[in-house]
Amino acid sequence: MANERLRALEDVEKEIAMILQCAGNIVLELSKDKHNASLLDRQLGQFQSSVNKVESELSTQIRYLTQVATGQPHEGSTYSARKDCQMAMNRAEYTKVKLVELGRTCEVMLEQQLQQP
Amino acid sequence: MATQRVLPQSKETLLRNYNKRLKDDIRSILDNFTEIIKTAKIEEETQVSRATQAEQDHYELHVRAANIVRAGESLMKLVSDLKQFLILNDFPSVNDAISLQNQNLRLLQEECDKKLTSLRDEIAVDLYELEEEYYSSSYGQWDNNNLPLCEAFRQRDSLASPGSSCSSTQGDREDVDGQLSQETNPQHHLNGHRTPLTEKL
Repeated sequence: MANERLRALEDVEKEIAMILQCAGNIVLELSKDKHNASLLDRQLGQFQSSVNKVESELSTQIRYLTQVATGQPHEGSTYSARKDCQMAMNRAEYTKVKLVELGRTCEVMLEQQLQQP
Repeated sequence: MATQRVLPQSKETLLRNYNKRLKDDIRSILDNFTEIIKTAKIEEETQVSRATQAEQDHYELHVRAANIVRAGESLMKLVSDLKQFLILNDFPSVNDAISLQNQNLRLLQEECDKKLTSLRDEIAVDLYELEEEYYSSSYGQWDNNNLPLCEAFRQRDSLASPGSSCSSTQGDREDVDGQLSQETNPQHHLNGHRTPLTEKL
């Protein structure tokens, strides 16, 4: 859910860039001797829709935050689960080290046996 | 909105400020753009000369374009502030993110422990066989207080069925406790716990 809202805000940023780009294209087209009317219409339509989209989306987000914000800090954390997981990883790592030592010891014993006449 | 929520003063002020910034920036973009388009219209002669008028229009277009860009950047800053506010104060989504993360971490921990437990069981089976082999050879001798795994199981079975033939350790068990048998080299094991080597000369 949080990711969707953040993704919506990233889309809003792209729309803001689109607004500026459309405005620039329109002025560029007007600066020419011969204007392309269809291009002007398209860019103008895009400009207006982007402005409306930005305004409505940001108003929606601000309204949602007005409903949801409490002013208190959030005190939840994932510390205990993370610590338990870290301890489990440490156990696995320790087991691996011990098994490697055991394997090495067995190899040394086998070599000694082979070397004995 | 269903219920009127009472927010702290600072949060209400902040959200009202966000609304104001949004409206001001959108209005600035639209107004300045409209004025640019109006300025682009070719007009008849005015009081000032053409060059002066051109210079004035040029300057005005620059300023209005700069205003549009400033308003766009101000909107980007507003979006960034909203993202920050959302991350810090959107409790439903923060709760969801925390519970999802906790669930993932617990699953990982359980899987790790399950694998370690199955590894332990496999090694215990191999250890039993190895100890049986070792302690039935000439190298393996034990004391009655610290039996190897295979011998402990054998004694338990023989106790359960007293009529069956017992191993030689039955008699050893009735010896005085605490007397260590003579050892040459071995270390005693029981369920993986090692005791320090004690050699008697």
